Amino acid sequence: MLTVTVHSGLSAVTLLCHGRIVLGLEAETLRCIATSRPEHRVIVDLRDVCRMDASGLGLLVDLHCWAQQRAAELRIANPSSEVRRLFAITNLESVLGIDHAAQREFDTTGQRAMTA
Amino acid sequence: MLNAESSVGKLACSREFAFAGDTSAMFAARDRIMQFLNAHGVDGELEIDVLVALQEALANAVLHGCASDPTKTVRCTVDVDDAEINIVIRDPGPGFDSYSGSELEDGTNLTNHGRGILLMRNLMDEISYHHHGSEVHMKKFRHHLD
Repeated sequence: MLTVTVHSGLSAVTLLCHGRIVLGLEAETLRCIATSRPEHRVIVDLRDVCRMDASGLGLLVDLHCWAQQRAAELRIANPSSEVRRLFAITNLESVLGIDHAAQREFDTTGQRAMTA
Repeated sequence: MLNAESSVGKLACSREFAFAGDTSAMFAARDRIMQFLNAHGVDGELEIDVLVALQEALANAVLHGCASDPTKTVRCTVDVDDAEINIVIRDPGPGFDSYSGSELEDGTNLTNHGRGILLMRNLMDEISYHHHGSEVHMKKFRHHLD
C-alpha cells in the first residue's frame, strides 16, 4: 500500500510517500499524482517508503524525464538506506536529483492524502 | 496455489509453489514464499535482498513468460538450509536472451524498464538462466550476514 500526502506551496509541491512503490497500483498512483501537478518544483519525499522495486525505480526515471521535458525540477528527498542501495545498484544516483537530508519545507495546511 | 513441502536433510527444507500467471496471484505467491523463508529464519537485510530479487524474477515470469495470462502457470521451487537459499522459477514462455545488453549499468538507462535483472544480479550471490531463459536459478548465501 502507498499513501501520498500532497503539500502544495506557491511554486513547489512535496509528495510525502508512505508505504511501498512497487509494480501495480502504487506506482501508477504516484505517477498520476506527480504528473498532474502544475508546480515547477516537485519533491518526492521517500522518508517513509519501506520498499521499492524495478517498477518504482522506473517510475522515478519517468518522472525525471517528464520534469525535464516541461523545464521543471524533480527532487527525490530522504530515501531510506534500502532505497539508496537500489539507487546505487542501478546507478540512478547520478541521474536523479537526490537530497539525502532534506527538511520538511511545508506546513500542514491544505494537505491532501491519497492511498493506493 | 499448489504447495508441496519436503524435508531434504537436517535443518533443510524444500517447497514448491505454483500460481496463475497474473500479477494478483504473483503478489500472493511472493508473500507465501517469503512467509516460508521467514519461518526458516530468513530476516533482516537478507530478507530484503531476497524479497526484491524474488519480486523481480516473479514479475518477469508473469509479465514476459505468461504475458499476464492467468490460464498459464508459474512454478517456483525454494530450498533453504543453514547455509544458503536456492530459488528456481519456471515460466511457460519462450524465454529471452539474458545477455542481450538490455540491462544498462552505466546510469544512462532513462527508460522505465530494464533494471530488474540488474537488481537480481546484485542482490543475489548467483543467478543463472536455463531453457532459453524461461527458468531462472538464484542463490543467496546466508553466512555473509552471520
